Amino acid sequence: MSGQGAAAPPRLESAAAATAFQKEWFLSLADRAREGEPIALANADAPHELLRALGIPYVVNQWWSSIISAKRAAPASLAAVAAQGLPDDSRQYDVLPLGAQELAAELAPWGGLPEPRFAISERSGDVTHKIFERWGRRPGTETFLLSRTAAVPAPAGWWDRVAHDWEDVFGAARIDLLEGEIRALAATLEQRVRRTLDLGELAGIMALANEQAEWNRRTRDLLASARPLPVAVTDIIPAVMVPQWHRGTPWAVAAARRLHDEVARRIDDGHAVCRGERRRLMWIGRGLWSDLEMYRSFQDEFGAVFVWSMYLAIAADGYARYGDDPVRTLAARFVGLTDLLYVPPMSSSWYVKEALAHGVDGVVHLVADDTPAPGVITAALEQRGIPVLEIRASNADPRATGDVRERIAGFVRERVPAAR
Amino acid sequence: MTTSAPVIGVVGNDVPRQLLLALGARPHRLTGSWTGAIDPDAAQLLGATDAVVARLLTELRSDAQPLDALIVCNDSQAHLRLFYVLRATASTVPVHLLDMPRDASEPARRFARFQLEALAAFCAAVTGRRLDAASLAAAADAEAAVGDALRRLRARRRADPPLCAGADALDAMLDAARLAPSEAVARLDAARAPVSPGAMRVHVTGSSHPDAAFYRELESEGRCVIVSEDHDTGEAAWLGEAVRGETTEHVLEGLSDAHFARVTTSATTSGSVRAAFTGDIAREAGADAVAAIIRELDEAPLWDLTDQRDVLEGIPFISGRVTPGEEIDAARDLVRELVDAAVSA
Ligand code: SF4
Ligand code: SF4
Repeated sequence: MSGQGAAAPPRLESAAAATAFQKEWFLSLADRAREGEPIALANADAPHELLRALGIPYVVNQWWSSIISAKRAAPASLAAVAAQGLPDDSRQYDVLPLGAQELAAELAPWGGLPEPRFAISERSGDVTHKIFERWGRRPGTETFLLSRTAAVPAPAGWWDRVAHDWEDVFGAARIDLLEGEIRALAATLEQRVRRTLDLGELAGIMALANEQAEWNRRTRDLLASARPLPVAVTDIIPAVMVPQWHRGTPWAVAAARRLHDEVARRIDDGHAVCRGERRRLMWIGRGLWSDLEMYRSFQDEFGAVFVWSMYLAIAADGYARYGDDPVRTLAARFVGLTDLLYVPPMSSSWYVKEALAHGVDGVVHLVADDTPAPGVITAALEQRGIPVLEIRASNADPRATGDVRERIAGFVRERVPAAR
Repeated sequence: MTTSAPVIGVVGNDVPRQLLLALGARPHRLTGSWTGAIDPDAAQLLGATDAVVARLLTELRSDAQPLDALIVCNDSQAHLRLFYVLRATASTVPVHLLDMPRDASEPARRFARFQLEALAAFCAAVTGRRLDAASLAAAADAEAAVGDALRRLRARRRADPPLCAGADALDAMLDAARLAPSEAVARLDAARAPVSPGAMRVHVTGSSHPDAAFYRELESEGRCVIVSEDHDTGEAAWLGEAVRGETTEHVLEGLSDAHFARVTTSATTSGSVRAAFTGDIAREAGADAVAAIIRELDEAPLWDLTDQRDVLEGIPFISGRVTPGEEIDAARDLVRELVDAAVSA
């Protein structure tokens, strides 16, 4: 039924529920913070579970950044960054929340983020630590930085081993370092909020996070083998990501299970995003997921659907860690999490595995400034006969992605033959 | 040490040279260059990365530099990425990553020790030698002599008028990081060159300089002379530092302490520490103005500018961003701005 421009399929209930929950959660957190409860701003790869165990509510920097963008407060936030003499064309995504703190409450999304008592980040990249240094200079905010070691070793085929054999996958010395720093951070936070870290509580949180990861794994497996694609990727993303920020709570486990059940139901009901599915595409890298139309725009002409994003896949393969000592296990969760996505051969071998499992016919690889060795990932896929379109998107230059649609259309036309 | 010592290439600024010297290797720092071709394969493999590092990868892939091994420091994303690419593309020489942490906490010190031991083991496998107190002491003497020569060079640059231009000094420091210590001393001591009287004394901050081309351009008309810098291929290079101790353990401990004590590249240093460092050196060198030269895709120094401006209050401060291919124009613009700023100050 090509070319009929079918109406968008009904939105996943799990996605709508997660989004609604998130706003309510944020508003109540903000209220509590305004009444004096200490909250934390944490980077995505900071050990959130520690904060949860200490009863310190936290907001994730990258998530808040996405809300600022979605509410169209990014330009004003970047202007505020520039007004402080800081670059507004470097690491925009990481710095938006810092700029947004300067916006008047009526201009800030959802009334704005109350000043965090703690700002916590791993030292990723050249600049994150400098952004968090700035947070630490705000009155009332204290910054904590954790070391970020390099991916040595970096074994291919880590996904079957990482949940249990993490000592080997990442190397004990690296875990020792992060574990030591998490313990020191815990001691300082205990003193600041006058609470004691209950290791039993932390172990319970870790167990819930593992349960959540297992549900995500099952959901990903269902989607990998379903033909045609039963649910749009753009629906899956919020349904995975919002619970990810609540990792370690019963709500998040229930949300992950609900997503799984809903996907299973759609498969049973024979649901299809595009009945005329003839080409399955994989999107590697950060998405332009706010432009839903973009992702649907190759269906009518090419029967091409995007079936994969890293968000569910890494939630499925990257987070579970089982171990006896919850602090060390927590260190093992974060010590090399991002490297799984970006550092070859960990990254390249994983993308190949996922591409094969999902029956992908072509890959669009969005290469951001901070993607190390993108060429290695591309080469690994092409060696397996999977064509790849690399799109360079500079953080500094949004115009670089201006002609994305045309380029993807050209790529599909010329290099991705219809498989079905 | 003989000239036939195995040559170990070094990318980045975290390698304690004393350790390599003690193991019978000659450290050879590799920095890339301001100009020169970038192999499209290298660019493709690296993705969006500082052009200087792309040129360095081009050089490494062409095997132009005969090396017995290569050490890459995790002291910037660009260097780390270079290491990942070399590892993923099966480099022809053995490659090792030195991953030194930045905050001197207890666990970080333990990790630093682990890193230095792994570094020593890697080099020992290349040279077939073992660390011992005697070789470490001899290496300390050799490296300390380089340190003394660096201090003499620094004094000549600080003289009024300076007795050595910035470009010549930078060339000498870059060479010293590639030569055997005794030759490095001679090379550093030979660096003296006339400076036109009345040239404005400039301190350089921002990105590191892979070679002296940019300095040469800044100094070409005799209006500026670079008397100091705080980037890590110049005065902040980890060169000429030696640690003495009775046992190997003590020396490793001392090297680890020295690592945590120094201020190095912008990517690993907080804005406030880096700015204070800039201010201290610029004042000590009697700089009339400070120029921050920042290469495209080398983002960290951009984040230091506002702190540096605060610290340098009273000293004209100019910053310029340099895009590949426009180095010469950028240098000329900077000179003009420096002269204007000094006039109006
Ligand atoms: S617990 Fe989960 S990760 Fe571990 S073996 Fe079982 S399924 Fe795999
Ligand atoms: S989206 Fe797919 S199923 Fe729907 S009209 Fe277009 S081609 Fe047909």
